[in-house]
Amino acid sequence: MKKKIQFLVSAFVLIAFVAQAQNPKAKSGTFALTHANIETVTKGVITDGTIIIQKGKITAVGTTVTVPSDATVIDCKGKWIYPGMIDGGTRLGLLEIGQIPQASDEDESGQVVPQMKALSAINPNSALIPVTRISGVTTVITAPGGGMFPGTAALINLHGYVPDQMFAGFEGVVMNFPNQARRGFYDRRTDEDIKKDVEKATKQMNDVWDKAIQYYKLDSATKGKGLIYYPEMTAFLPVIRGEQALMIEVNAANDIKAALKWVADKKIKKVIFTGVAEGWRFADEIAKAKIPVLVGPTLEEPARDYDRYDKPYANAGLLKKAGVKVALRTSQAENVRNLPYYAGFAATYGLGREEAMKAVTIVPAEIFGVADKFGSIEVGKVANVFVCDGDPFETKTNILHVFIDGWQMPMVSRQTLLYEEFLKRDPGLNKN
Amino acid sequence: MKKLIILLIVSISFSQVQAQVEHGNVLIKNGTVITITKGTFENTDVLVKDGKVSQIAKNIATPAGYKVIDATNKFVMPGIIDAHSHIALTGINEYSNAITPEVWTGDELNPFDISIYRALAGGVTVSHALHGSANSIGGESETIKHRYGTLDMNVLRMENAPRTIKFALGENPTGHGRRDGLQPQTRMGVEFVIREAFSEAKQYMEAWDKYNKEKLIKGFRGAPPTYSLRLETLADILKGNIIVHCHSYRADEINMLLKICKDFGVKRLVFQHVNEGFKVAPELAAAGAMASVFSDWWAYKLEVYYSTAYNAAILVRNGVVTSINSDSGELIRHLYHEAAKTQKYGGLSDDEALSLITINPAKQLGIDNRVGSLEVGKDADIAIFQNHPLSIYTIPMMTLVDGVVRFDREKDADDMRIYVDPKEVVDIPTLHAQDRSHDNCLRDAEKLTVKMFGIN
Amino acid sequence: MKKFYSYPFQRWALVMLFCWPLLLLAQDDVLAPVSRTYALTNATIVQAPGRKIEAATIVIKNGLIQSVGKGISIPPEAIIIKADSLFIYAGFIDGLSRTGVNKAKDDANKDRPKDPGNPTPERAGITPQYDVRPFLNPADKSMEEMRGVGFTAAHVVPYGGMLPGNGSVILLGGSSADAMIVSNKNSFYSELTPAERAYPATVMGVMAKYRDLYRQATLTKNYQGLYASNRSGLERPTSDRILEAFYPVIDKRQPVFFKAEKVLELQRILILQKELGFTLTLINLKEGWDMIPKVKASNAQVFLSLELPEEKKDEKKADDKKKDEAKKEEIKKEEKPKTANELEKEVLEKRRADFIAKYVGQAATYQKAGVKFGFSALTVKSKDIPANLRRMIAAGLSEDAALASLTTIPAEIFGLSDRLGSIDNGKIANLVISDKPYFNEKAKVRYVFVDGVLYKQEVTEEKKADPNAKVEIEGTWSVTTEIPQGKSETSLVIKKEGTTYSAKISGGQLPQPVDASSVVLEGNVLKIAYTATINGQTMDVKMEVTIDGNTFKGKTSVAAFGSFPVEGKKEPKL
Repeated sequence: MKKKIQFLVSAFVLIAFVAQAQNPKAKSGTFALTHANIETVTKGVITDGTIIIQKGKITAVGTTVTVPSDATVIDCKGKWIYPGMIDGGTRLGLLEIGQIPQASDEDESGQVVPQMKALSAINPNSALIPVTRISGVTTVITAPGGGMFPGTAALINLHGYVPDQMFAGFEGVVMNFPNQARRGFYDRRTDEDIKKDVEKATKQMNDVWDKAIQYYKLDSATKGKGLIYYPEMTAFLPVIRGEQALMIEVNAANDIKAALKWVADKKIKKVIFTGVAEGWRFADEIAKAKIPVLVGPTLEEPARDYDRYDKPYANAGLLKKAGVKVALRTSQAENVRNLPYYAGFAATYGLGREEAMKAVTIVPAEIFGVADKFGSIEVGKVANVFVCDGDPFETKTNILHVFIDGWQMPMVSRQTLLYEEFLKRDPGLNKN
Repeated sequence: MKKLIILLIVSISFSQVQAQVEHGNVLIKNGTVITITKGTFENTDVLVKDGKVSQIAKNIATPAGYKVIDATNKFVMPGIIDAHSHIALTGINEYSNAITPEVWTGDELNPFDISIYRALAGGVTVSHALHGSANSIGGESETIKHRYGTLDMNVLRMENAPRTIKFALGENPTGHGRRDGLQPQTRMGVEFVIREAFSEAKQYMEAWDKYNKEKLIKGFRGAPPTYSLRLETLADILKGNIIVHCHSYRADEINMLLKICKDFGVKRLVFQHVNEGFKVAPELAAAGAMASVFSDWWAYKLEVYYSTAYNAAILVRNGVVTSINSDSGELIRHLYHEAAKTQKYGGLSDDEALSLITINPAKQLGIDNRVGSLEVGKDADIAIFQNHPLSIYTIPMMTLVDGVVRFDREKDADDMRIYVDPKEVVDIPTLHAQDRSHDNCLRDAEKLTVKMFGIN
Repeated sequence: MKKFYSYPFQRWALVMLFCWPLLLLAQDDVLAPVSRTYALTNATIVQAPGRKIEAATIVIKNGLIQSVGKGISIPPEAIIIKADSLFIYAGFIDGLSRTGVNKAKDDANKDRPKDPGNPTPERAGITPQYDVRPFLNPADKSMEEMRGVGFTAAHVVPYGGMLPGNGSVILLGGSSADAMIVSNKNSFYSELTPAERAYPATVMGVMAKYRDLYRQATLTKNYQGLYASNRSGLERPTSDRILEAFYPVIDKRQPVFFKAEKVLELQRILILQKELGFTLTLINLKEGWDMIPKVKASNAQVFLSLELPEEKKDEKKADDKKKDEAKKEEIKKEEKPKTANELEKEVLEKRRADFIAKYVGQAATYQKAGVKFGFSALTVKSKDIPANLRRMIAAGLSEDAALASLTTIPAEIFGLSDRLGSIDNGKIANLVISDKPYFNEKAKVRYVFVDGVLYKQEVTEEKKADPNAKVEIEGTWSVTTEIPQGKSETSLVIKKEGTTYSAKISGGQLPQPVDASSVVLEGNVLKIAYTATINGQTMDVKMEVTIDGNTFKGKTSVAAFGSFPVEGKKEPKL
C-alpha cells in the first residue's frame, strides 16, 4: 500500500510540474496500449492484449496486434482496459453550482418547452467535466429538468471545446410523467393534494399530446409548408414520427402503471423510461412492454418507510431479472464520477458484475442507438477507453489513462491540482 | 436558598435519564476481526459479555447461554460511527435566532425513525444527532446509539457521552441573517455574533461566580443575577464542558473560529464538513482541532465549489484527526464505501480509511474510551460484513449494539416500522432522488429560505 | 420544483375565500321557564357507575338535586317530566377543551415578526398569566353541540401557543361567563406548540424556553420571598406577570395540564416533569398505550382523547362481511393468484388496521393496567363522541369504567366530587337523559340539565337523499359555510330555463359575482360547481346539498382543502 502512495504522489508531482507551466491539453495521435487485460464487454476478456487507437477509432484489438511505428506505446502490463463508461442521466454541463441560479441552466420556465436543447447550453469548460472523465466516465446523457416537457436531452462525450465536438449522436425529448409521489422530506402536500395535482397534470399531458398529434397530421398533410410557427409542437414531430425517443421520467409505482398505459394508448414508437425508482413493483409489465430503462440513482433511500432497506440497490437487478433492458444513471452533476460505484452497488445487490458492467457501457449505447460507436472495445468503434489498475467498480481502483474520441486526456482536474498544492502546503504553519 | 441553588445546578446540566438499556451475551466465531487499533486477525472469535467485549482470541469456548454467531469468511469490525447526521430527529433547526445554544436536539429524538434501522443496515451503530446550521450558534446535540426497536427516546441516548453543540459559519447563517434583515449577513458578522455571545457569557459567568461567593458570607443579602439558559449553556462551553462541532466550509472562516476559540480558551473543537480544511490543515493540526468531512461532496453551493475529494487524505497526512460523515439518511447507509474513497483519493491504508468511520469520529465525540475499536472492555457495537468492508462488493450482514443484534440481513422483514401512521395511504411514495437539497443541515429552515430566495 | 412552494399561498387564499365578517349568532328570545323545580319520574337512574335504580324519580330545585330515589315526594311547584323508559345519568365532564372559548382578537396575527428571535410574549405563545374567563362566550355554538352528546361541564383553557394560560371548570350553560364558572384556575395549561415563524419555532425551542422560564421563576420567587421578609437595603424585584404565573406551579398548588397526544410528546413532557418537578396532568392522550409504566411512575393524572382515527372506509358490518366472504369463496376458484403488489398491500393494510385497534383499545388498556383516567374532547368533533365511546367499549373498556371516566373520575381530579359527577342529593343538577342506555348504538340524548336548567334536544332526522323527490330550487338562497376560521355568508341565485338550471354566486370576498360552471339537480340533491378567483388565486369549489323545503344542508369542498359544512335558506320572494 505504501508503495502505491509513493507512486501516486510522485506521479502527481510530475503532472503538477506540467500543470504549472500551462493547463495541460489532450493529445491526439496513434496509441498502442500493450500487454493489458482487456474487458471488451461484448467479446469477452483478452489477457495480455493490445489495443491500437488511430484517428479517434479503435483500429485493432487482440493478442497478435502489430504496433504501428508512429504509435505512442503505453505499457499496460498488469493493468485493465475498459470501454468508457456511459451515464444514462446527468445534468453535467448544465449545472455548475447547485444552489446558484446563475450557475444553473437546466430548468427553463414553462411546463411545455421541448424545444429547449441541452446541447445548446452545455458548458464544455465546466470544472465538473475533468473531475468526471478522469474517473473513466467518458460519455453522458445530460438532460434538462423542471416542467412536464422541460426540453431535449443530449448524449455527449466529455471532451471538446464546443458542444458540437462533444455530441455523441443521440437526442431525446424529456418528459416528466405526472408524479403521484412526494418530492422529498419537505413536500408536505396531503394525499388528496397530490392526487389532485396528478389529475390536473394528466389532463394537461393529454391536451399537449393531442395537439402534438394534430400538428403532426397537419405537418404531414402540408408537407411542412405553411404551418404556423409553433416551436413546441415542432419539437415533438421527430418523436411522433419515431425518429427520436421520448425519455419519460417516471418513478412511483402507480405512475409507472399509468405511463405504460399512456405509452400504449398513444402508440408512441420510441420510449425510454428514466428513474424508475419503483420499477421493481412492475418489472414484469415493463419487460412485457419492451421499454428500456435508465435506472437510478442506485444509492438512494427507499421510497417508502415500509420498503425493504436495500430496494434501491436491488432495483436494477430485479428489473433485469424480469427481462427489462437496464442501463444505469447517477442523476448527478458534480459527482457523475461515482457512476462505477452506483454500478458496483447494483452488481452486489443482485445485478451481478457482468450485467452491471454492461449497464454502464453497451446497454446504454444500444438504448441510445449508438452501439455501433460506443459501449464496447471492438475494432471500428470510437476510441473511448480507459486504463486502470484493477476492477473499476472497486472503490480504491485508480484510473490511469482515459481516451475520448481517441484523444488522450490529461489526468488532471481542479481536485487533483488542489491535492498537489495542499498535501504539503508551502509555507506551512510558519511563513518565515 | 442554598438548597435551591444546588437544585438548580443539578437540573441545569441536562438530566441524564437512566433508561433501561438491553445488553447481550454473544460469541462471534471465526471471523476476520478488524480491531482498527490493534491489528486485524483472521479466524478469530469475539466474546461479548453483558454488552461489552470481554475477549478477542482464537477458539474461545462458548459459555452457557450465549448466542453464537458464525462469522466464518466474514469480516468483523467495530460499529461505524457517524459524527454528523440528523436522523432520529423530529426537528433540527431552531432557525428563529442567530444564537440558540439553549435548545437541544436530545429533546427532538425520534426512536421510530426508519433511518435508524437503515443506518444499522449499513453497519452504523452510533451517530451524532446534530442541530442544523441555520444559525451561528445552534443547539446542543445528542450522541445516540442505534438501539432500534426501543419505544423510549431516552434509550437512544448514549449514556454519559459528552455534551456537544453545533456552531455554523458561512452561507447558511448569513443567508438567514439576510432573510430577516439582521446580523449576521457576512462572515464578519458571523465572527461578531459569536464573539458577542461568548463575551456576554463570560460576564454572566463572572456575575454568578461573584454572587455564589458572596452568598457564602454570613448575613449576605442581595439579588441573584437573572438566570438565562442561553448564557448558562454558553458559559459551559467556555468552561470546557461542551465540545463545539462547527459547520464550516471555507478556509478563512475555519481560521476565524480557531482564533475565537483561542481567545476564549475553548479547546474542544471539531469542524464539520470543513471542505476547505485541507487549505488550513497545518493550523487545524496545531490547534488540535479535528475535522469531520464528506468523502466527495462539492459544488452544490458556492462555498464548496473549490473543494477536493482529497480533503480527508490531506488532513490525515497533516496530522488532523479526521472522520468521514454522512449528514444524510442516504449516505449513512454506506459510510464504509465513503471511507473507501479515501483510498482512491489519497491512498490511505485500510486501517487509516476505516479509522475515519470508527475510532476517529469516536474521538471527535469524546467517546473513544467506549466505542470505535474492538478492544476488551469496550461496548460491543459490532458490524459484520460479507467481504472486506472497503470493497464495493461487501454487504453488511449483521449489526450489534451493546451485544444485541439490531440488524440481521437474513432476518430482515421488509416492513421494519415500529409505529404505523393510521392515516397512511399505502400508495404514495417519497422520491428522495428528486429532493436535490444536499445540505440536510438546513432542514426545516430550508422551506423558508427557498421561499425567500427562490433557490434550490 | 419552485412551483411546489406556492401551496402555502393557496392556503392563504382559502382564508381569503371564506374570511368574511363572522355571522352574529341569531339570539332567539326565549321565555324563562315557569318554575325552577323539576321532577323527572319513573326513570332508570344511573346515579354513578354501578349504582342503578329503576322506576325512580329525581327532584331538582334551585339548580341542585334535591332528592333522588323511589317513591319520593314531588313538590307541588315542580314541572313534571314523565321519564318513563328514559335513562338518566350524571352530566358528563370534559377534561379539557375549548368549548365556549373565543380566540383572542390578535390571535390571527402570524406575520413574521421583525426580529423573529425576539417576538412579543403573545406572539411567542407565552401567556401563562391569561385567565380563560374573559374569553368565555355563553352563546358559543360548541356548548350546544357538547350538551347534545351529554356533556354538562368542561375544563376549558384559552387558545394560544406553548403557554396559553389558566383553565377553569365551567358549566356548559349559563347566562354569563361568570355564571358558568364552577371552579377557577384549575390548571396551568401547557403545550409543546412552537410559535409560527418566530422563537421558539421548534419543539426543542419550546422545551428550552420552558426550562428557562421555570428556573427564572424559581429564582425570582425566592428573591421576592427574601425581599418581602425584609425590604430594607435590597433591590426592588420587578414585577413579571409571566414568571409570577409559574409561582403556584412551583409551589405545587396548581397542576400543569400538558397536552400529550403523540407518544413522543408524552415522553418529552415526562422528561420536563422529571427535571422541573411539577405536578402533572396529561391531556388528550392518543398514543399512550405503550407508556403506561412511565405514566404511572410520574404520578400524573390522565385524560385520554375522545378522538380516534377513522375506521377504514370499506370496513363493513359483521353481517355484510360474512356475506362478502361467502361470495368471495365462490369467486376465488376462478380468480387469478394475487400479485406481489396486492399481497404486500394486504399485509400493510392489516398492519394499519392492527394499529388503529391500538388507538381504539387504549382506554381498555389503561383500565386493565389500573390507571384511572378521564376523557378530553380537545380535538374530537362532538358528534363523533358517542360512536367513539362505543368503539372503545367494543375494544374491551367496561361501560362502568367509561361512565366513570365521563363523570366521577374527572369530578375527583378537579376536586369537585362534592358538586359534580354523580346523581346524589345536594349536587349540582347536571343530568343527561337518553332514550336508551347511553352506550347503546341507537340511543339519543333527549334532555340535558345544566345547573338545573333544562335543555331539550331536538331529535331531527336528517333529510335523506331521495332521487325521486321533487323540489323547487329557483330563487335566492342565503348560504352559510362553516370553516375552521368561522362562518361566512354568500348569496346564491338559481334560475331555470327550460330544463336546465343556472346559478350565480356573490358576496363576501368574491370581487364580483361568479357564474356556476355546473348546476345539477337529482331528486332533492343539488350539486353546484364554480371557480372562484381571489387575488389571482383560482380555486375550484363544489357544493353538494340536500334540499328540504326552503332549507338545505350539505358540504362545500374546495380543491385540496377538504370540505366544510354548508347550510342554506331560501329568501322569501319579494
